[in-house]
Amino acid sequence: MNDNMKQVSVLEAQVQALQAEIAALQGQQDNNINIELRGRMQDALLALSGKQRGEGSRGLEIVASLRAEVEELEEDLNRQTQINGITLTSCTTKTLQNNESGLQQYCVKGHCSQMFFQLEFQVSEVKKEQSCERTITDLNIVMDTGDLQDFSSWLSGVEENRDLLLFFRTLRRFSDRCDDRCRTFQHFQEKYPTVVSLPGGCWSEIMTLHHPQLPGCVLLVHWSVQVSKEGEVTPKIDLLPKIPQTALQLDSARTLEGAPAAFQSLLRLLGTEAALESTIMSVSTST
Amino acid sequence: MDKDCAHEEGGEMDDDSVNSQLLRLMARHAKLTDLLHAHHLIGGYDIIKTRQGKGVCVSLATSYDGVYLDTYNMEIDLTAPLRISRHNIPTFIPLNSLAEQSNLQTNIRAFLDTLSQHLNAFVGRKQQLKLVKELHESVEVMESNALCSILVLLLTVPEEKTAVLCKLHYTDHTRCLPTRVDIDCEDEQLPGSSQWKKNCTLFKETPVHKALSTIRQAGIIL
Repeated sequence: MNDNMKQVSVLEAQVQALQAEIAALQGQQDNNINIELRGRMQDALLALSGKQRGEGSRGLEIVASLRAEVEELEEDLNRQTQINGITLTSCTTKTLQNNESGLQQYCVKGHCSQMFFQLEFQVSEVKKEQSCERTITDLNIVMDTGDLQDFSSWLSGVEENRDLLLFFRTLRRFSDRCDDRCRTFQHFQEKYPTVVSLPGGCWSEIMTLHHPQLPGCVLLVHWSVQVSKEGEVTPKIDLLPKIPQTALQLDSARTLEGAPAAFQSLLRLLGTEAALESTIMSVSTST
Repeated sequence: MDKDCAHEEGGEMDDDSVNSQLLRLMARHAKLTDLLHAHHLIGGYDIIKTRQGKGVCVSLATSYDGVYLDTYNMEIDLTAPLRISRHNIPTFIPLNSLAEQSNLQTNIRAFLDTLSQHLNAFVGRKQQLKLVKELHESVEVMESNALCSILVLLLTVPEEKTAVLCKLHYTDHTRCLPTRVDIDCEDEQLPGSSQWKKNCTLFKETPVHKALSTIRQAGIIL
């Protein structure tokens, strides 16, 4: 009887272990990735598994044709990267639901010039009578926005509205305006090195103009790129004098006080570069 | 001949190196396919070369409120000067003046970005109009145009079934929200009332179908 009881308990333990294994395997099955392979990829897979298609198909031929296709894809990716102005470095897909409303989850990483992003979004595709309706059902954007307050608040609006396409359209325009600013700042620093300095580097919003003979007097050029709720990108440039009290007292004609407003008029009349150049020249030549 | 002998001799080694090359290439192929699909999903221009490199074809994707809508296509001849040949962009979008404005000749991307802005705004306004008709049967659409830059709605105030005419002017064609809202009513006091001034502001800040939902829920109109 004791032997029987022992056998029973051993068998029961085995049954439990098997049940646990089945549960674990079932869990794994749900995470299986379905891959459909066609054309060159299918040839390659068959070659790998030793089941080559057709007679006399040789591994090297398959490698060569797959390599040619990969090269075409590389060229295609370069073209898209250039025209879209966005570099994508990785994209992972996960199928959440494989029924009529095919739900896919994407994780995309990349950058647009200096701005790096990481996105997670879900796309559902519902087949309707004559077409396929594709909808973004969730959107999460991770970006280092630093102290760009209006950019951050615009970003949360975009996530709420799941406006993936608007995000990229706006990001590109924003990045282009920041690139313009960086180029302009660098240009002026190289041209007028004794007057112009970039305390935060060329990607910052500040360019300072020092009068070579008056060490305490600084003109700050604050060039910010603003984003509205709807994704409108507008550069805003202000001139801020930082003048010590003593120098201000000497400024009887009050030219320094009126400098910011005068600068705005210059901007309207001459445009950004000419207005900045004119301001820099007046600082470097004034006595 | 020599190569063939070498292959016969190094049979197994070749299989391994062929297999590892295949695996590497397959991995690269899969990654590139995924990245290209991602470019497409994020609204990329899907540029392809046509006619042996003499032209390119681009697709302009549009979306509103997370729903992917119409895609427009355009073929550009890579002649000097660049020329837009075929396209299915609606006639009320001023294609040629946009091309001039944004320097198509020197910067194709800037032109496409501007065009995409106009198309997405148009599609957004069109979608809002569709939603107004679907969600708000008590609101009558008196007037609209192909570009969806003007929208005239007839609203009804519950108490005395007063008719209120609401005109939304979308003068900035790159935006989905109106720049001007006019309210007309037989009751001359109504448009100037603080409630309707608030409603005007609401129309300028919120998509029209959502603004109507808010106003209807508050019982201000039927």
